Amino acid sequence: MSSIVDPIKEGLARGWKVLGGKYGPLPTSLDCDVVIVGSGAGAGITAELLAKAGLKIAIVEEGPLKSSSDFRQLEADAYAQLYQEGGGRKTADQAMPVLQGRCVGGSTTVNWAGAFRTPEETLNYWVDIYGLKECGAEAMKPWFEQVEARLNISEWLTDPNANNSVLRRGALKLGIKAPTIHRNVKGCWNLGSCGLGCPTNAKQSMLVTTIPTALDLGATLMVQTRADKLELKGNQISGLLCQPVHADGSHAGPAFRITAKHYVVAGGAINSPALMMRSGLPNPNDLLGRRTFLHPTVASSAVMPEPVQGWAGAPLAVFSDHFLRTQPIDGAIGYKLETAPVHPGFAMTNLGGMGRTLVDKAKTFPHTSILIGLLRDGFHPEAGGGVVELKSDGSPVLDYPINGYLLDGARRAHLSMVEIQFAAGAKSVRPAHEQAQDYQSWHQAREAILALPYEPYITTIGSAHVMGGCAMAATPAQGVVQPDGQHWQVANLSVHDGSVFPTSIGANPQLTVYAQAARMATGLAKRLTERDVRLDSPAVPASAASAA
Amino acid sequence: MKRRSLLKLGIASGVVLAVAGGSLALLKPGLLADGRLSPAARQLMRAVALAVFDGLLPAEAAAAREARLAAHLDQLDANIAGFPPHLRGELSQLLSLLTSSGGRLALTGLTSDWAAASVADVQASLQAMSLSSLGLKQQIYHALRDLSSLVFFSNAASWQLVGYPGPREIP
Repeated sequence: MSSIVDPIKEGLARGWKVLGGKYGPLPTSLDCDVVIVGSGAGAGITAELLAKAGLKIAIVEEGPLKSSSDFRQLEADAYAQLYQEGGGRKTADQAMPVLQGRCVGGSTTVNWAGAFRTPEETLNYWVDIYGLKECGAEAMKPWFEQVEARLNISEWLTDPNANNSVLRRGALKLGIKAPTIHRNVKGCWNLGSCGLGCPTNAKQSMLVTTIPTALDLGATLMVQTRADKLELKGNQISGLLCQPVHADGSHAGPAFRITAKHYVVAGGAINSPALMMRSGLPNPNDLLGRRTFLHPTVASSAVMPEPVQGWAGAPLAVFSDHFLRTQPIDGAIGYKLETAPVHPGFAMTNLGGMGRTLVDKAKTFPHTSILIGLLRDGFHPEAGGGVVELKSDGSPVLDYPINGYLLDGARRAHLSMVEIQFAAGAKSVRPAHEQAQDYQSWHQAREAILALPYEPYITTIGSAHVMGGCAMAATPAQGVVQPDGQHWQVANLSVHDGSVFPTSIGANPQLTVYAQAARMATGLAKRLTERDVRLDSPAVPASAASAA
Repeated sequence: MKRRSLLKLGIASGVVLAVAGGSLALLKPGLLADGRLSPAARQLMRAVALAVFDGLLPAEAAAAREARLAAHLDQLDANIAGFPPHLRGELSQLLSLLTSSGGRLALTGLTSDWAAASVADVQASLQAMSLSSLGLKQQIYHALRDLSSLVFFSNAASWQLVGYPGPREIP
């Protein structure tokens, strides 16, 4: 038995209202003040703030409730249990795997705990192009500060692991800045298992922070419950049809209906627009599900002389934004450089190859360093992102074509990463590309990469950052929702998640989602209850709330 | 941009089989009703494992190799069982096509069936698919290879091959 106290088990013992799956039968109908679809970054922040305002909240989560006592740091468990489509989500043409959480806490339960404020150039672009004056850097600052205080976000002071040291060492040698990441952790054990669910509850995900607060304030959490359809009556939502599901997403009993005064959709990009598409909501400017962004991500592996053991230690500790800033934001695509955890299933699969190639990779695995380059999509006419479509069963798929503009970025990112890895002392380097080889020098690698064909499939590209599809904007011509998250055409519907981003952001998205959701949910609480709520102060007393 | 999608395999299978002189109606699902690999699909995934993990499977004792393969195929079953129904449906269709002689020949170029094909033949076929100019063939390569790889290396039995000690214990 582990020495770690499981806050979810404790909460359940205290009498939390959790239904669905193994936690008790779902109701035949339910009425509340606000129903929140999803339990990830946007939903969690929203749930805490609205519950603090004294509102009766219901949270609807399609995935299971898993917590520290379930998190065994095993790839064999985690991808199937905690990720969308059993870990098998891909873009429509299958060219990009998409890692996205599907569990209580959403992607915050499985992300690598990198917490970046939205880059200022991104916020400036939103103000200039989308009229989002509420999102200027100065206007957003207090929201970032509030969220950072709530989720213990601060600079990571522990030494970076050997994988991150490769990035720092190589970058510094080339005169490129590689600062330390901020992380949302408290008492982190530096295990390196963030992507598999934090077994020590150190990561301040929604699972262990805002969702428990909301549940302690009386919210109802329904797990393994899919938000199937919003019912539209005039310009109002009159109900949310929910479908209980088994772990694999197949039906597990009769559908039921939740009614509420207000509906907040926060199921994450791809899923949020899909719910609104299934519901046939007004979409007069054909924006819904469009401009969905992925930060298409490429990788390069290096064999270092020293042991790297890239499975151990905080997976993200160092980053470089140098190549986001070597050209205009709407010029040739920029990329952020980070590292990826080197777990056997994830790394051996994504680095490609078979037979002899895999045997060689296996031998050098403990010395393997992996850098990743995340392409900043959404700022150029040729980086318009993907489109969410519905399959015949109503489930979503993202059609995201990989074009020459993105592939040019993939090649440049490979060149940058390979140069850094050699500068850090790599013995050999191999970009993740089906036709790449192990290169022994920067000169050899450079010549080879410049000659490689960059095409979809043979260029390994994936994504763990899904954004957009329900853009916010100052006019309905440009956005699905208003700057405060309120739907432009439907009166009692808001969207509070990463799907409201009008572009990608050029940084890991969790902190941007938190801050935008805090801004939107604080405003919604005020509109619904006239109360002021904050993440860093206690709830409005129950007696005062009931008088609202 | 060519639009490529496994969703369109239904149509693709018809075309492929018409060319190969078969019929869609004669195809058997690649997954059984309970979601496990059909016997033919299990042969296919076994052949893929022998090719992809050539040099990483127990080499000395045939019994040890067979046991590792059997465990791998069982783990594949377990993984596939966790996929949502639409994904299982697409995979079933793909495996169905690839285990028909017409589909196998047209899409992989393998002349002998999966159980009889040599490791070198399957490797050559997978290699050709991975570099094919047809998106469909590249999709199939990744579907077979990536699923196999994720399951194989996530399994504790493979950790010593890569020098991974397993997760740090929490007292």
